[in-house]
Amino acid sequence: MADSKKPRAPFAPWDRREIPGIFSVEESARRVGHYKWIEMRLFEVLGGWVATVPELDVKLRLGTHCYHHAWHAELWHKRLPELREMNPERLTAPPNDELVAFVEAMTEPEAADLTIEKIVGAYRVLIPAKIAAYTYHLNNTSTITDAPTIRSLSFILQDEMSDWRDGEMMLQSLIETEDELQRAIDHQAKLQRLLLAAGGIAGPGTIGDSYANDQEAHA
Amino acid sequence: MRKSFPVEDLARDARFVRVPIMERITDPRNAFQEQAGSSSRRAAGRLTPERPDAPDAARALMHGIFVGEIQALEGAGRTCWDFEVGAGDEEGVPEVPFELKLDMARQCWDEARHCEISIKLSDHMGTELGEFSENTFLYEAACNPDPVLRLTGVNRALEGLAIDVFNTMREFGELAGDPILEFCEDWMLADEVTHVKMGSDWLRRLTVNDKDRQKRALEFQRVVDKLFSLGGFRGEEEDSPVRLARRFRELAGFKEAEMDTLAEVAREARSEMEAQVARNKIAVTG
Repeated sequence: MADSKKPRAPFAPWDRREIPGIFSVEESARRVGHYKWIEMRLFEVLGGWVATVPELDVKLRLGTHCYHHAWHAELWHKRLPELREMNPERLTAPPNDELVAFVEAMTEPEAADLTIEKIVGAYRVLIPAKIAAYTYHLNNTSTITDAPTIRSLSFILQDEMSDWRDGEMMLQSLIETEDELQRAIDHQAKLQRLLLAAGGIAGPGTIGDSYANDQEAHA
Repeated sequence: MRKSFPVEDLARDARFVRVPIMERITDPRNAFQEQAGSSSRRAAGRLTPERPDAPDAARALMHGIFVGEIQALEGAGRTCWDFEVGAGDEEGVPEVPFELKLDMARQCWDEARHCEISIKLSDHMGTELGEFSENTFLYEAACNPDPVLRLTGVNRALEGLAIDVFNTMREFGELAGDPILEFCEDWMLADEVTHVKMGSDWLRRLTVNDKDRQKRALEFQRVVDKLFSLGGFRGEEEDSPVRLARRFRELAGFKEAEMDTLAEVAREARSEMEAQVARNKIAVTG
């Protein structure tokens, strides 16, 4: 080190963070409220399914993943007051009725012989949709002003990717026949249609609009 | 998926065989075993390596812990699902705080990990999954429709029993020179203290303005504690196979008077069981 009094750039040459981000405080809070709502629905159903699943390895993974999503809900719950929502329950809501219909269909399977449907709903439909929404948020929010959300998103995405991989592998090991494969495909298609109608876990615009011009894309 | 999942529908693979706990304890064939001088677990007293049946008794207890952990996982998971956050619904399903559900989700992870540890330990001890029967009385305590009673029954009574059992197994591992068993039980014991403390904290917080509900919860705990004393299997007598772990229970929020009451409940359970065994003996041998 040459001279400790010599002025240095406040942002190091390798630190490329910038102020601009597409989300206002209000929009960020709206999205975070939807995230908390869907994380709650997911951890609740994973917990509920534990008793209904006879496959021992799946039972134990559901118990572990239940906590992951509860922790995500807790992170979002704590973020809401920091985004000027002093009553977190007010924004803990689904974006529309279509997402409620999706969650109702996803949480419907109960019988012990429906493990494939349960895993498809959580791991082939909902978790990939969450990964998409969180990645969009991570890549579009201000890397300086919204650093706390980015930190939570980064931790959460690590969990989501890891849980998605676990779920996909469980599913591949459960599907052994053409019939089981068709069940998985049919259930995925049914849920995917419902999620399409909802526009994603935060409603239309969850991952922006690829057909709009730059300025409209994130409106 | 339904709210409240009945015990008879608990999903298991083909390895698991269920036998009701009372059927096992009151099995008239126990009378023949005692006549023949067989060392039944209760007759043999505290679990020590010197006992001729120690390896089998420890393996059976370990398997009991394993199935108990599965049911504890299932019970905590159902509490995540069965109750809504906030206002109760019109059908009388009561409300629970968001943080309570977070605690239950955390417990799911802990219990899933305990299942994994128990599976590894069972293998370490030479036991196959399903080698011993399963009884479902633990999950039954987790079916109470009132979340306060459910938490009191599960987190204070059932997880309290787990403290006693893990401490017993930890001591057995130490005496038997099995550092793997001792290590694992010590870690699980730490989690159980946390779970019992959760139960104590939620009981206090949710009933602070409802003394009737608190009374009902503590009565339910007493019933479950008596059931979990398993006819004297857990107690403070010299020959109790599983001893009350007072030091760890204190860490978990139990008061001295509560532990005295628990010891009394265990003595009652033992007396009742001894009377039942005597009746069985007369019925079988005349």
